[in-house]
Formats: sequence, C-alpha cells, structure tokens
Amino acid sequence: MTTEVNDRRISPGWRKTAGAFLRVDVIEEINYPLTLVMTLLGVIVPLVPFFFISELVGSSRRVGGDYLTFAVIGLALTAALTGAMSGFGSSLQRAFQRGTMEVFLVEPVPWTTLPLAMNQWTLMFGALSGILIFGVGALMGADFQLAGVPVAILIAVLGIIASTAIGIWSAAILLLTLKSAPLIRLYSLAASLLAGSIFSVNQLPTWARYISYALPHTYVINATRTALMDDPGTFQMSTTTAIVALLIFNVVFLVGGFFTFRKALEFSRKMGTLGGY
Amino acid sequence: MSISQKHASIVVSDLVKVYDPSPRWMSFLVRSNLKSSVKAVDGISFQVQPGEICAVLGPNGAGKTTTFRVLVGLTTPTSGSATVMGYDADTQAVSVRKQVGWMPADQRALLMRHSVNENLRFHGQLQGMERAELGMAIDETLELVGLDGWGTSTCFALSTGMKARLQLARALLHKPKVLILDEPTGAVDPVASHELVHLIRDIVSERQIAALISSHRLEEIETLHSRVLLLDEGRVRYDGDLGSLRHKYAGPRLSIEFRTAESASEAGISLKSANIGVISHNGTNGVICELNPDVTHASVLSLLQSQTEDIVSLQESETPLHAILANVYRDRKEGGE
Repeated sequence: MTTEVNDRRISPGWRKTAGAFLRVDVIEEINYPLTLVMTLLGVIVPLVPFFFISELVGSSRRVGGDYLTFAVIGLALTAALTGAMSGFGSSLQRAFQRGTMEVFLVEPVPWTTLPLAMNQWTLMFGALSGILIFGVGALMGADFQLAGVPVAILIAVLGIIASTAIGIWSAAILLLTLKSAPLIRLYSLAASLLAGSIFSVNQLPTWARYISYALPHTYVINATRTALMDDPGTFQMSTTTAIVALLIFNVVFLVGGFFTFRKALEFSRKMGTLGGY
Repeated sequence: MSISQKHASIVVSDLVKVYDPSPRWMSFLVRSNLKSSVKAVDGISFQVQPGEICAVLGPNGAGKTTTFRVLVGLTTPTSGSATVMGYDADTQAVSVRKQVGWMPADQRALLMRHSVNENLRFHGQLQGMERAELGMAIDETLELVGLDGWGTSTCFALSTGMKARLQLARALLHKPKVLILDEPTGAVDPVASHELVHLIRDIVSERQIAALISSHRLEEIETLHSRVLLLDEGRVRYDGDLGSLRHKYAGPRLSIEFRTAESASEAGISLKSANIGVISHNGTNGVICELNPDVTHASVLSLLQSQTEDIVSLQESETPLHAILANVYRDRKEGGE
C-alpha cells in the first residue's frame, strides 16, 4: 500500500498520463483519414435498413408504435457501450502486437492507470458514434422527449462506466493469454441477443429474459427508452430501478475489474510474459 | 553494505529468476510450450558505478535480457535482489523507472506513425516533464544524438541507424542516472553502429551515467573499453576488464610466414605435436599459434629449428575477443574454470 502511495507521488499524474495517451491515439487516427471516415459511415449506414423496417413494424405495440426511435436508442447506446467495453482490450492487444507495450510499461506510471489512459480514444469515439446515431436518427424522423435527456445522459454515463469495468476485466484475461478477449466476445454476444437493442426484451423466452437482467446493457437501453420515448412499448424499465442497478453493477464490476487486472499484472510479471507477445 | 555498494548505481545480489510453466488451470485460456521450470538467472551478483559502462555478454539464453527485465521491473526475481539508485526493482519499480533510460532491442518499440518529436514528447509527458522543459529537452537531446533537423520526420521513414539514435534519444530525454541498453546496435550497419557506440561512450562519461549494455557485436565492446560481465547459463563466468579477460583466457597470437606452403605445413605439424595451440596452417604460407606463459617466442622458434631459414616474418597480435569467449565457453564445457 505504501509503495502504491509513493508510486502515485512519483508518477506524472493522471492529467499528463491521460493527455499523452490521448494525443498519441488522436494522431494515429488522423494519420488514416479514409479509415476514420469509413468507420463513421459504418456507424451511420446500418441505420438506413431500420428506417425501412420501421415503416413495416411501426405500428407494433411491443415497440411503442415508433420502431425507428426504439431502434435508434438501442443502436446508439450499443455503439457507445461497446466502445467503452472493447477500447482497453483492443489498445492493449495492438500495443502487444506492435511491440510498444514493453515501452509503455517501463514508463514511471502506475500500471493500474493504463486501463483508463489507453481506453480514452475508443471511449470517446464510441460516445461520438452514439451521439451521431441519435443525430442521424432524429433527421430520419426519430422522436425523442427532450425532457428525458438529463436522465438519459446519467444512465448512459453509468452504463459506460459499467462497460469500461467489464473491459478492464476482459483486459486482465488478455494480459494472461496475450491474445483475443474471450470475455468481451461472450458478453457482446449475450448483450446483442438479450439486451433488447433492436427488439423488445418481452419477445425473449422467460428464461432468457432472466439472464438479460444480469447485463448492464439491458438497463441502459430500456431505461433510456423510458426516458426518451413517449411510449417505450410493452417492456418498460423504470429509470430509478436502472440507476440503482447500474450503481450496484459499477461498484461490483469496478472493484472486481481493477482487482482482477492487478492480479493478472502481478501474475504476468512473475511469469515473465509482460510486454511480450 | 560495502562502500562500493553504497555508491553503486546498480546493485544486483544473488539474483535468481526461474520461469515456471503456466499452471494447469490456465490451459483452457492459453497453451504454454514451457513444460518444466527454466532457471534463466542463477545467483548472479554485480554492481555498476556512476560513469561506468558494463557490457553484458553471453550466448542466447545466457540470462542477459532477463537480468535487464528484472532491473526495470518487468519481471520479478525468484530470489535475491536488484536495486537501481537505491530503489528496489521489485517493490519500488515506478521509482526505478524514473531513474532509468531504457532502450529495448526491438526497434518496433517506437511509435512508427508518429514524428520523432511526438515519440519524445510522449515519453517526456509520461516522465512528468513540464511543457517548456520538455520542448528544450527534445531539441537538446536530438542535437546530442545527431538527429537535429529530423524532429518532424515520421518515424517509419527513418533509416535503421536513425531509429536506433531515436531510441537512444528517448532513453536519454529525461536525463536518467542509469542507462539499460539491450543490443542497441542490433540491426544497425557497421559504420552507424561504430558512431553510435562512440556516442554512448561519450554521453556516459560526460553525464556520469551507469550503463548496462548487451551486445553480440564484440568489436563494439572493445571500442567501449568497458567492464565485461560474461554470463553463461544464468551465471557470471567472468566480471572484470577486457585486459584481464585476455590475460586469463588467451595470450597473444604469433603469426609466422614461411617461404613455402610446405614449410608452413611442416611447422604446423611440429608445433601441434609439441601441444602448442595452432590456430591455422591450411595450405597457405602462414601459421598462427597461441602464446601463453609456458609458450614463448623462443620456445616456438626452438621447435622450428629445421624451418627457421624459411621464415619470412614473425608478428605478434592480440587474440580477437570472439576467440577469447570461445575459450571461456570451451573451458566451461570441459569442466574447467
């Protein structure tokens, strides 16, 4: 404990560490302008089919009669949450593969600050993608209740924190295996099937619905619909319930994520696999 | 603690590092090729003083990189200790990394899509340097390593030699008290490598830095005039200066040139039968043999009585370092010191 306090005193501080990593990531992205543009297009274009699907199922009571708004909220939040969740793992794997990880680790920065420092760009890009989907969705005719925006932002922030914590958990496994992120894949698969991003959770069989309650995505997406839609459909999630559940998720996942990451670091350091690929 | 230990920048004491195979529970995550424990470092001890260069030599798997990785906190010692500027490399790793300039063997460790300045800026920020201080330090360091004017160039566009200089600049930027350079001239051409080694030698001397360097290029070690730490199978085989190493493991060499190849061949046979180490007499007019306290010029000439009239020239030379190292490792295999 004393060592950690000393380490924090000696290290450059969060502002400099975060600034250094963010600057490097932004320069990297700007170096590939076409890729950046195509990635942004890849965020927006999948909305188009949902515009036409909404014409077909728009009157369905299960989605509150406005499927476009229903789908836009699901897609925007999934983009933001996925960015927060996968950012650190992908940055970590890229650094391992490129051979820069060892140099990052030899800097006088406490290693436990790396998950947040290396995750910033992907987290921001995920949030930007979400905002972009909301914007383009509004232009296509999605209808949001502006009064619910502050609550929706609070829920989204809590969801992003929970997703970041899951990402840290997954990065701990990546540290041990130096390849892929099985936890993220498993979670993403479960979230895409069960969280109700493009269909109502009510359409799931009862047993699957119970599993969906174990996913932060379910609370974020469905409570945001409650906040932003006039009629969120047959599956209504109270915003208060969602906020309480997400706070519990955050405490458990953050404490567990950092603990697991720290243990994985200690283990990799002992095994001598840290920084290698 | 001895007086020399008190002043030493790097102190390694009875360091042991054993790499164990992954535990069984990990096999569903990743399969490991390591089936049994490997002792990479086996009880080594040494110190490096400020202003001193210590060249760590040894074949692949000798324990050089593991020792370096322990010193910067990338791996933990199994037993023993390693300290840098008085900080324990295991428990005070962040303090250690503040004192160390690290140059890894892998040139990919640079941010390839970023400029020279950006590479240094990133490192400087993580070292906690302030903006104004950092700007000046970047200019000063680039000039020091001969990269002034290249600050805005993208890293991947630099030659291998320039990338090595940039790695050195990154290691020096925050004015460390200790330099750890893992094969700094690995892929660099001989001319650029020669310049880089001279540069390192001058900087270490001027800034009174304690430097640990590993290299497979033995001529570089000779250029550095450094102390030599010879590792083999995780143990220290020799720790001292190059002159003593030569004296201990190989005497000078005597090159004798004859008028004819036949005379050279006969001389070679005579010397071999007298158990004198003959290096070569492969059909040319020359014979090269090793001298030692028991084998002097006079004793060689007395053995060559019948061929002395055919001798054209005699020349004494130093034994190359690679031949000395071969002697050291041969001695180990034969069970000697």
